[in-house]
This record gives sequence, structure tokens and C-alpha cells, in this order.
Amino acid sequence: MFEFTVAGHVIPLFLLVLTGFTVGVVGGFIGVGGGYMVTPALIVFGFPGYMASGTDACHIAGKAVISSIRHRQLGNIDWTIALAMVGGTMLGVELGVRLLVYTKNIGLSGVVLLAASVAVMLGLFIYTQIETQKSHRKLEADRKAGKEIGREVKVSKIPLYFQRIPIMPIIKARKARLVISMWVIVIVGVSTGILAGFLGVGGGFIRVPALVYVVGTTSHLAVGTDLVEIVVSGGYGALRQSMEGNVDFMAVFFMIIGAMIGAQFGSIATSFVRGPAIRYILSYSLILATVGAMMRLVYVLTGGAQEWLAFVAVVFTLGEMVFLCLFICSLVWFAVRHKHGKAVPEWVPPLVVTT
Amino acid sequence: MKKKGAIKFFVWAALALALAVYVFYAHETGKIDQMYYHSTKTDGYAVNTNAFFDATKEKPALLQIGPADEIRGPMAVPVKKGERLPKGANGVIDKKVVEEGKRAKVEGDKLVVMVPWQIKESKGFKYKDTFIHKGVKTDPWSGVWNVAMTIALGLCLGFMAEGLTDLLGWKIQKIEHFGH
Repeated sequence: MFEFTVAGHVIPLFLLVLTGFTVGVVGGFIGVGGGYMVTPALIVFGFPGYMASGTDACHIAGKAVISSIRHRQLGNIDWTIALAMVGGTMLGVELGVRLLVYTKNIGLSGVVLLAASVAVMLGLFIYTQIETQKSHRKLEADRKAGKEIGREVKVSKIPLYFQRIPIMPIIKARKARLVISMWVIVIVGVSTGILAGFLGVGGGFIRVPALVYVVGTTSHLAVGTDLVEIVVSGGYGALRQSMEGNVDFMAVFFMIIGAMIGAQFGSIATSFVRGPAIRYILSYSLILATVGAMMRLVYVLTGGAQEWLAFVAVVFTLGEMVFLCLFICSLVWFAVRHKHGKAVPEWVPPLVVTT
Repeated sequence: MKKKGAIKFFVWAALALALAVYVFYAHETGKIDQMYYHSTKTDGYAVNTNAFFDATKEKPALLQIGPADEIRGPMAVPVKKGERLPKGANGVIDKKVVEEGKRAKVEGDKLVVMVPWQIKESKGFKYKDTFIHKGVKTDPWSGVWNVAMTIALGLCLGFMAEGLTDLLGWKIQKIEHFGH
């Protein structure tokens, strides 16, 4: 047990370390900060809502630094895209926060926030799921036909439209092997930043699909590049939250210790899988978070009449972290088994790499 | 490779350890608390909420009112907006709340606290809203300290982990994004 004098609670240390570890695994693998999972967890542990949100933002920045270092070693970061996007992301986050303050002033924030979260996450889940299933089928067909299959397979043609926009300056992202107008990247940064600032999250679950389906990077590069963005946007968020007095640094410290181990596992796990596997986990993370948010939305809209909904929403959100973590662990386990010629479920071979 | 990895691991591990020791030192000596519970945002009474957390309307807590540099136990120090908080204070009971008399009131030289916490909601989550953090202004430099420490810890732990895998001889190779 440890007394967190700033948050004003005595909490078993292992809970915070475990939370950091679990979100580290998931965040390192799919490139998200995990704010939509950690904040509810901290509230359940007894942190006040504002303190949970601020402490989470600060921990996200530290965890993103750890994951980024490993993804840099794995070659998963395109620095050209990351740097081109930073300014737009910061501007977007600031606009999003102001939009949030505006909706708060007109007395709408709770409902608007939850409804916006549900709509964005559900939309992203549907598109990611459909595209990834098509890619999975293509991988399976190519494998059965004896063709060599690449690390990344995507069937979406959307990036081609954006890459053809001829507005100067045009930049060449060498690692991602694409040529694109810088304005497309800046606008992606601004729009994902607005959503991140408005929803009060790091924005990884919006930015990773945007990097894959709008800019056209591979899933691995989207994960690594997004984590660099999270260092910047998370650091800015952490500064603002700390100045408002919403951060318990000791809680951040213990979560970062857990995240150090989890983030290594999650980041290195990306080298065992093909792109669609990352997108599958991302889409499952989106739908699970959507269901949790939907339950809270119904709870708020019914004026808190359905008490059980709030309880189930919390259980669901915490269960999501464990489920995703176990899913990633089993994927790596299957990848290792497949590499050694052992039996694995039929859906696994197209999603993992053997070399 | 292993020699380089060993140097990398030990250097970054030493730095991470030094940071951890500094963080614990700051925690134990109350530096972190003093940065957080820095000054007051409102006129009222500085208190330590742990002293009356289990008070009820039937069995209210009685806090001795009076000036002090440090709060120990059931004490309430009158403060004005912008003043430094006494050591040990973790909340300010607003003058308006006391005048309202629903949660706390003044009786002679005692501050009587009857409702130390109430259930509130945020984004569909319920939480206990207490007097802790209320009316407290954090030192703006603590924001810079928090972010600097977080990033420094992240860098030390990240490079330490990288050094460890090199030391153990694990081959973490760059991913061929467009290969097979």
C-alpha cells in the first residue's frame, strides 16, 4: 500500500504498476496512449475524476517516450511525417480544448462528449474492421496460391486520392515511401488534434487509422510515428493538467515503471505480425471502448436511473485492457509456435511473420 | 555489441536510479506536496481533510480555529486568497461554504464539519467529492517539474531497456516494411 498524498488515497502499488504494464503492452502494439482505459481505471481506484484525467495524461507522455525509443530501434518511425504533423496536432488540440470549454459553457459537455466519442469510435471501428477483413482474406488467398506476401497488405484506395493532391510543398517521406502534400499531413494533424483535445484523450486511436487510411503509411509506421506525436501532444497535455493541479506525480511514477516493461513487450510484438494484425487489435479496442462509452451515455441520458449500467461500463472498460493484452500475448505466442512449425489456428498464419 | 549494450544499460540504469531516488526524496521531504498544495485560491480555512474524513451530521468533527505554520490533526487555519498554505494543509474550506452552514459551520473557536464528502458524477463516472484540493492553487512551476521528470524517466527507462536487450544479445532488427 502507498499513500498518494496529492490524490489523497491509499492504493496498493501493484494495481498502478499493473495498469501501467497492461496499457503499455496495448499502447506499444497499436500506438495509442490508452487514456480511454486508464482514466476509468484510476477513478475506480478512488482518484477524483479530474485527478484521474490529469495523472493519465502525464503518464501517457512518459510511456510514449519509452515506446518511441523501442519503435525507433525497430525502424517504425517516419520522422518527416512526425515533424510535419506536430504543429498541426498542437493547434488541433488547442482548438479541441476551446471547443470543449464552449460546449461546457452552454451546458452540453457531458452528453456531447460521450455522443461524439461513440460516433467517432463506432465509425472508425466499422471502416477498420471491413478493410482489415478484406486485407486478411487477400493475405489468405495469396498464401494459399503460394505467392510471397509482404509485411503490409491494405485494400483501401483512399490514400491514393490524398497523395495526388498537388498543393505545395510536396514532401517525400523516405521511410514510408510516399510523396504527399505537406498540407494533407498538417490537416490530418489538426483534425485528429481537435478530436483529441475535445474528447480529452491522446488521440492515438484516431491518428493511427488516419495515418494508414489518409496519409497511406504502413500500420507499423503509423504506430511508431503516432507515438512520437503522443510524446508532444501528451507532454503539452501533461503540462496544462499539471499547472491546473490535476496530477499526482507519484502515481505517474509507478505507472511508468509498469509501462516500461509493458511497452517493451508491446513494441517488440509488432515485429512478429503483419499490418492487418495491428489493425484488427486497434479495431477491437475501438469497439470495446465504444460499448463502454455507449453504456455511460445511456446512463447519463436516463438521468442515472439505471445504476447497473455505470457499474457494467466500468467493468467493461477494465476488462477491455486485460482482453487486449491477452490477445496480443496470444498472437505473439502463436507467431512463435508457427515459426517453429507447430500447429496454430487457421486464421493465424496470414497475420504473423515467420522470418 | 554486448559490451556496448552493457555500458548503455548500466549508464541509463544508474541515471534512472538516481532519478527514482530524487523523486522519493522529494516525496518523503514533502517537496512534491508543497509544490502541489502551494497557495490558496479563495478566502476560507486551510485544513487537513484526513482529520475529519469520517465525520457525519450526527457526529461532526470539531477543528480548532487559529493561526499556525503547520497543520497537525483537527486544526483550521484562517487564510486569505493568494496566501501560502500552511504545511500539512490539503484543502481549503471556502468561506461561502461555511456561511452556508450545510457542510461546515463556525461555532465559537471551532470549525464544525458535518458533511466531509458527497457523491458526484463526471462523464458518467461517480466519485467521492471531498474538501481535498478545494481552494488550492498549485505552483505553476510544478507543471514544468512534472513534465521534465516524466520525460527524463521515460528516456532513462527506455534506453535502459534497449541496453538490456543488447546486453542479453537479443537481436532486435529493423522491420522491413516493404519486404516479406
